[in-house]
Amino acid sequence: MMKVDTTTLADIINQCFGYATDGRFSVIQQTAFLADGKRLRGLLLNLLSAQFDDGTQSVIDANNQLDAVNTKLSDSAVTLANAAQRIQDVADLVANVDKLLNVAVSFL
Amino acid sequence: MLSSGCVANRYEAPVSTFRDKTQQTIGVLSDFYSSRNSYEIDLYLQGVAADRSLPVETVDAKGAPTPLGGSVFSPASIKARLDALNLVGIYAGRLYDLANTDSPSKFQSASTLLGSNLSSLDQTFQKLQGASDPTANKYVGPIANLVGAIGQMFLEQKRDQLISKAIKEGAQPVDNILSQMRDDMDKVFSLEVITGANERLATLVLSYNKERDKLTYEQRTARLSEIKAATAEAVASVGSAPSNLIASMMETHKALVQFAQSSGKARITNLAALNSALEQWTTEIQSLATQVKALIH
Repeated sequence: MMKVDTTTLADIINQCFGYATDGRFSVIQQTAFLADGKRLRGLLLNLLSAQFDDGTQSVIDANNQLDAVNTKLSDSAVTLANAAQRIQDVADLVANVDKLLNVAVSFL
Repeated sequence: MLSSGCVANRYEAPVSTFRDKTQQTIGVLSDFYSSRNSYEIDLYLQGVAADRSLPVETVDAKGAPTPLGGSVFSPASIKARLDALNLVGIYAGRLYDLANTDSPSKFQSASTLLGSNLSSLDQTFQKLQGASDPTANKYVGPIANLVGAIGQMFLEQKRDQLISKAIKEGAQPVDNILSQMRDDMDKVFSLEVITGANERLATLVLSYNKERDKLTYEQRTARLSEIKAATAEAVASVGSAPSNLIASMMETHKALVQFAQSSGKARITNLAALNSALEQWTTEIQSLATQVKALIH
């Protein structure tokens, strides 16, 4: 059985919440980060106990996407310079992670 | 060569302290486990309170239950883990009894002591595994072994031998149960509380910033006090206090096992190490309990 990389997912969530209180972003951008952070956290709580069949391609893809988004978000200056794109990256991540729940084998 | 009465006394003080601190630690961890679902409800309702556009729902627009409509963490899984902690507590209590009484009549049979609930706890975890609790299977073996070890703890032999045997037999299952709990804390509950604390803080800050021009001085002060408390919670959440508390208990238990298995000069050294571990655990419980309380609502 395989799992989603929940540690990286939690890192992304925490970065979203951090940017939601960062005065360098506009209120609209802060609000978007907060909303996406909340959605991702809701998914995290399900994924903490979700298990998938080994080799599930959507999980492999999601874990790669988690790594990529986490790396992009970790540079606050670049995130600030590309805020709209980073918010879109996170929104795309929300959509893809949400789909994983449909293919999970089991939950707590 | 020490007499049996004399060697029995070597256990009395450390085992008594071990029992007391085990009970204290279990109390703190039980509060933490028991509060997980109410914590999620609080967080959900705080998010609703901070955003006028959000209705209170038991099921959201996508059909998923909110924390108000369904438990985020399975109550059966939480209860099984509380029972596993109780089992470790009973083990420590049994050691205490052995070290502090000469009367076999004071000893209940294992089935009377544990009751059917704890006697069959391994089966409970087996059922949870079937119900898709991902770490339940890791508790099954250690719990069955610990129930077995507790069942062997009768005053049929000299006390010193009996306590040494009991500690030896309980060592691995107790360590395995605590180790699995520490993993649960690190891989499940730590991620829950850190992201939860950050969500609470971000929600309060953003809400304040959006509405501050409409708030009175008193309202602003009240909101800022909430933000201060949320900041303290966020700081406490990264400290891994529940996990550290279990780690501290494991260290002391390890020292107790080493002491019980040693002889000659090594016994004196190991007694000193055990007392040192007990002292450190005693010191840590207080501060870690305070940090854990900050994570409980």
